[in-house]
Amino acid sequence: MTAAPLASEFDTRTNATYEALMWALSRPGLIRTLPLAGLAQIIDTLIDRECAVYCEDAALTAQAMQTGAVLAPPEQADHLFLTALEHADFLTRLPQGSDLHPEAGATLVCTARLGRGPRLRLTGPGCEGAVEVRIDGLPDGIWQTRAQVLRYPLGFELFLVDANRVLGLPRSTKVEVL
Amino acid sequence: MSLKSLTRDWQPMSFGFLDASAKREIRRTSLKAIAVPGCQIPYASREVPMARGWGTGGLQVSCTLITPRTRIKVIDQGADDSVNAASIRRFLARVSGAPTTMDTLEADLIQSRHRIPEEVLQDHQVLVLQVPNPEPLRPVEPNMSLARQMHADADYGRMWLQLYEQIVRSGRVMQGASYPSLVNGRYVMTPSPIPRWDVPKLHMARHLTLLSAGREKRLFAVPPFTRVEPLVFEDVPYRVEDHAGLSCARSGARGFFMNEIPQADGSSSYEISDSELGVKSIRQRDNETVTIGDTWYKNGEMAG
Amino acid sequence: MAYVATRGGARAIEQSQRLFRAEMGTITPERVAEVRRALPYLVDRVMGEASLYDADLAALALAQTGGELHEAVLLLRAWRTTQPRLTVADPVLQQDLFTHRRISAAFKDIPGGQILGPTLDYSHRILMTEVLSGAAQTPDPVDAAAISAPAQHPSVAAWQAENGLLSAAEPDTRCGNDIPDITREPLLFPAQRAHRLQSLARADTGGVLALGYAAQRGYGQAHPTVNELRLAEAEVIVQHPRGTRFSAGRVKVSQAEVVAKTGSDLRLGFAATLGWNEVKVIAAATLDLNAKGAPKGSATEEEFFLYHTEGVEASGFCIHFKLPHYVTFQSSLDAMRDAKARDQAKNQARAAETAQATREAEPTP
Repeated sequence: MTAAPLASEFDTRTNATYEALMWALSRPGLIRTLPLAGLAQIIDTLIDRECAVYCEDAALTAQAMQTGAVLAPPEQADHLFLTALEHADFLTRLPQGSDLHPEAGATLVCTARLGRGPRLRLTGPGCEGAVEVRIDGLPDGIWQTRAQVLRYPLGFELFLVDANRVLGLPRSTKVEVL
Repeated sequence: MSLKSLTRDWQPMSFGFLDASAKREIRRTSLKAIAVPGCQIPYASREVPMARGWGTGGLQVSCTLITPRTRIKVIDQGADDSVNAASIRRFLARVSGAPTTMDTLEADLIQSRHRIPEEVLQDHQVLVLQVPNPEPLRPVEPNMSLARQMHADADYGRMWLQLYEQIVRSGRVMQGASYPSLVNGRYVMTPSPIPRWDVPKLHMARHLTLLSAGREKRLFAVPPFTRVEPLVFEDVPYRVEDHAGLSCARSGARGFFMNEIPQADGSSSYEISDSELGVKSIRQRDNETVTIGDTWYKNGEMAG
Repeated sequence: MAYVATRGGARAIEQSQRLFRAEMGTITPERVAEVRRALPYLVDRVMGEASLYDADLAALALAQTGGELHEAVLLLRAWRTTQPRLTVADPVLQQDLFTHRRISAAFKDIPGGQILGPTLDYSHRILMTEVLSGAAQTPDPVDAAAISAPAQHPSVAAWQAENGLLSAAEPDTRCGNDIPDITREPLLFPAQRAHRLQSLARADTGGVLALGYAAQRGYGQAHPTVNELRLAEAEVIVQHPRGTRFSAGRVKVSQAEVVAKTGSDLRLGFAATLGWNEVKVIAAATLDLNAKGAPKGSATEEEFFLYHTEGVEASGFCIHFKLPHYVTFQSSLDAMRDAKARDQAKNQARAAETAQATREAEPTP
């Protein structure tokens, strides 16, 4: 039997990033730790030539292109990376998938402030009863817009990143502003 | 740009066997599966060095999740030492250097075929179930595209009709393992061919369950704290296998799912299907110090 | 500890592999080279089904598995999974193929001519038993034709399309990374044409033959005429990161065009695969021809034939029934016994009722 292959720095980092994302989405509202700060590592972890990506930031755009992914407008992107989400209306542009293929709904990764700001109550799969969180740095009315546009099981996923911390909100989570 | 920048140094095998692209696809698919509980998400399903139908779906998920520190447990029919479980465990360790365990309480990642351990799984644990047939509607609709449309429409009428006909004909639902269950009130899912005994363990569980069919190229999930409700009529309750009163001939333990062992004299003897719980029970009986975790069933009854 | 004594799984699987390999003895580079040299058609078949063109690896896979074909294909596919993708080659055009054999059943002669090429079609199938008694058989040398046939030929379908006989498929202009790839994307239905043709190219030869034959026997709507069968070599042109295009080598390919009359037009079925494998491409092209409008669940419906000719999946699933299934079996037994007990209880109650009724009806003595 040959020795086990060694995990490279890339393997280790992307595996840890994915583990954080997976648990963030499995337990909405529970904040997980990423190995590094920022959005770049999430591109390394998820994006490939099969993806259609929307980025506004130049460095992230360059990184996304290097994976072989195509750049697409928000309406056609499966993964979107924003260092700042300016308008709640942006959510109305995200693909939500179709009845036959709900998985074609988008994943939006954006920067936010976790642990301060408006109080939210989360319920749904992954929430033990109700989970309360505070999220800041997002445009006004975002939660109302999200609730209006989501048509479960169609919808999109949100990952909110604050330095090296991440919080996940799958489409199945109901968000109430307290 | 050079050729070198496009590739990497040659290695006989990638860490975790799958290359980075394959892992990224499984990651994207798993995230969507978690976001839409019970919905079958298609994926490419790479070939792995095991035959299709032998746990290649579960294996791809495990290979994606594994790190050199992930403690892995592999079971088949409840047993850690079943030949295929031994083969998969050896493969996972070989491609990652990850430590293995047989103790459910110690495991971070449990890959299983046809059983959920009897000890309660916890918050940090991931259960990967191997799935031969991901489509609960196949008995009523073998065509995948038509079945997909039925899921899209939440059209489960024929499924209900089938259960109803069984009750009329046989006085009960005849489904053995793979009992169809409604996930988060939206998708009917097969829990994989686990016995009916194990289905309630998925309901509002603390752990994450990923179900992966490599040959059929579908992945689905039951996140923690998600409703999993077997399809039943109000007046015909769900019934697990009648194993509550059986005792294990080896350990003396009672109230768990058992393997029936036919005896030459025409009778049957029984032994605990969860082999590691069997080992622990024997050790406990022999006054060794052993930690048996909280179990889902107590005295043969599923704890509320 | 009674349980521990039964723990022999890891040892058992190790020994069972040794037992299997013992029969084949030592695998040497010479043996692999001999497999490659002596069995080119088998090597081709395995390369096609694996969708991996490397004759040395294919010969190694055959040597390593003792010729267990499904195992050999699985070995190659699993190896393929581990390889990085460096680049995507330029599309191969039919008219650029370096042609060894090209025949048409649709016309007596075709532009460019019929080229019989290497074939056993007209051989008498008589076993050379004399070889076993020590008389080696060395093939007679080939007499070259006075005028060699041109290496490159247009397709017959191109001529038919030019003459308004054929409604050709919409050309798919996607190239490079945009070409859908069945090994990296899930197969969904209705399948993209690229996915259908790629799946057929990788399909199990026996599986494609069984379903293609069913279609030819009348379980399909369209009866195929072999428009053109071609065995050829294709130049694989790739682009160096610095921009130069160069040939990375040649691969053997087979392709078949079959046609059938539909109304006032000819409908075209097409298949191609790596390696030379005539039966596979004719059968696969027949399935492609019949797919349009095939009834759901019929053998010529795309979903049916693509799922069921995937040899690695089909063989894996078939042999998986050897794995223990005692948990599922136990679960079914439980439901069965309970239903039986209910049945018996019902019958007994009915018998008791009848007896009671009979007693009541009988006149008291």
